[in-house]
Amino acid sequence: MRKFFAVFLVAVFCMAGVFAGGSGEGDGDTYKIGFIGPLTGDNANYGIRCSNAARLAIDEINADGGVNGKMLELVAEDSEGTVDKAIASYEKLAYSDNVIAIVGPVFTSPALAVAQRCMEDGIVMISPSATHKDVTNQERTNPDGKNYVFRTVPSDSLQSEVAAYYFYQVLGYRNLAMLYAMNDYSQGLANGLEETFTSLGGKIVASETCMVGDKDFRTQLARIKSANPEAVYIPNYTVEDAQILEQGAQLGVGPYLSSDGFSDPMIYQLAGDYTDGVVYVGPAQAEASTILTDFQAAYRNAYNGDEADSFATNSYDALYILADSIERAGAEADRDAVRDQVEATKDFLGANGTINFASNGDLVASQGVYDVEGTTPVYVGAFQVQNGQIVQVD
Amino acid sequence: MSTFTLYMQYIVNGITLGAIYSLIALGYTMVYGILKFINFAHGDVLMVGAFVGLLVYEALAGAAEPGMWTIFCFFIAMLASMAFCAVLGMFIERVAYKPLRNANRLAPLLSAIGVSFILSNGAAWIFGTTSRRFPYPFENDPIHIGGVTITPHQILVIIVSVAMMVLLAFFVNKTRMGKAMRATSLDQPTSMLMGINVDRVISLTFAIGSALAAVGGMLAAFDFRVYPSMGTMTGLKAFVAAVIGGIGNIQGAMIGGVLLGILEAVGAPLLHIPNGMRDTVAFAVLIIILLVKPDGILGKNEREKV
Repeated sequence: MRKFFAVFLVAVFCMAGVFAGGSGEGDGDTYKIGFIGPLTGDNANYGIRCSNAARLAIDEINADGGVNGKMLELVAEDSEGTVDKAIASYEKLAYSDNVIAIVGPVFTSPALAVAQRCMEDGIVMISPSATHKDVTNQERTNPDGKNYVFRTVPSDSLQSEVAAYYFYQVLGYRNLAMLYAMNDYSQGLANGLEETFTSLGGKIVASETCMVGDKDFRTQLARIKSANPEAVYIPNYTVEDAQILEQGAQLGVGPYLSSDGFSDPMIYQLAGDYTDGVVYVGPAQAEASTILTDFQAAYRNAYNGDEADSFATNSYDALYILADSIERAGAEADRDAVRDQVEATKDFLGANGTINFASNGDLVASQGVYDVEGTTPVYVGAFQVQNGQIVQVD
Repeated sequence: MSTFTLYMQYIVNGITLGAIYSLIALGYTMVYGILKFINFAHGDVLMVGAFVGLLVYEALAGAAEPGMWTIFCFFIAMLASMAFCAVLGMFIERVAYKPLRNANRLAPLLSAIGVSFILSNGAAWIFGTTSRRFPYPFENDPIHIGGVTITPHQILVIIVSVAMMVLLAFFVNKTRMGKAMRATSLDQPTSMLMGINVDRVISLTFAIGSALAAVGGMLAAFDFRVYPSMGTMTGLKAFVAAVIGGIGNIQGAMIGGVLLGILEAVGAPLLHIPNGMRDTVAFAVLIIILLVKPDGILGKNEREKV
């Protein structure tokens, strides 16, 4: 009996596999767009919001009749935020699903790895959230030497540069400490900040590291306390930052400065008692446009009142830029034609305002500064560095 | 802050962390002492304990302001969680380990790894994978002594851990059941011949170990938060603590835990290496201890019985 049951189960799984395989093959009536991001695990909040936003954009476009008479289809793959899984996701999307372009990966380390492959294979990738300066600095290994990597989030080098100027010139800090995780995202920001901040004449009095997933930061915080900085820069993801804020408050360390990782509202659930007074540099807010408010309302409506974060907004824009490019590439749109059109994108009006790409695929942008009051981030304004001075642009 | 107070601060933090490791290490060591088998599902029992504790606490305390009532709720939640995990531990033993007691030594080990996956994936399925906060049952304003800061929750962790260990030591050394336990760990067949119900002793060992893991899980939850994979690394560290102290030895587990906690907190700054490598230091020390003293600090010199 048991044996029969086992054989039966195997048969069922095999059949499920056959059917799934059958429906997965592209049938020429759709354009498949891939998505790579963490959909499970502690950092799933970032990936789920981004894929939700992309799916929302696709639903809107399809409800409007699709592109070139064809429907769009999102194939979302779970990277769990790791490089291995992201590469596996990429291979499935590129070789098995035959997607025309990819939105993602969400995190920096997977994005660095996938960007290399996209360059090699000639597939457009638009990351909504990978901010490391090297993401758009990959060798152009495809035969034509073209660029296939774009992003709708500003590069770290921009973020950390504006952050350093703002902390030095506007907030007047001269001695900072840093506590950052040993991953590409946090290290990229911390190194960039240190470079600019010290070139301005400031001093990094303590530079402490941790691992992603660490829960106890008291040793680092005690060392930072003994170095007596004016403020502590913590460019990490929410789970680590929440722990740092709470344990730092217990040890009497602060105030804190952070990065765009702080724009995820989950921080207020995890450490709502300790967020008051945190200043962070993140995405500049678009001038209140109906596109943005419509998107936020539609997102809330579609996903049970969940609020879209800035990465989700970037993901939404990325999807619309792709759809727009496919449309301009015409009925015969292939991966290369789409690339040419993405590169040719000019003054695209998205939820984040007017979008242009620099020649390396970077977003042309200013940076936003936020000051947290209680558990509400208050927008200070958009800033740019011009001729060695920080300037508020709106 | 002077270097002295800085290091005092590290040690205070290390002892808190170590007290939790000790509690969990006890479960590994007790089971090993009796069955000569590493219960790799122990870390996940700790996670279940934290979840049960959190759910009971939230159900009882609701949104109440921290005060006497919430502290009372916390201890009720702790008792409930201990009871739940004790039953769970006995159940796991009965279902996954007992049928394999006479099998190849690797079989129960693999079975334990299987149980570990079932528990952590089950929790991920039921509760989702995001971390949850365990609210402090009291105002957690830090207390400053000299330049050293300690918070009430750290004091609670230390007091509860010490109390549990004293209770356990009393139970093992002074009660009849404890005596039976010690006898079983010395020589199982002979104990059986002497009329000790070995099955019951083993069940009880799992119950006590799991109840201690539940306490450890709830105490760890303040600092580590509650999430389905929380038992993996914490359990591994506690296992290391048990080995450092001498696996199979109850006092050894207590000493090993506190030692590991202090090593983790002090090691990296003492050696002037980045703190991101603190676990490397802890595990390097494990290797050194094993090289110098393979049985651990208090390990008993075990000879093959002839």
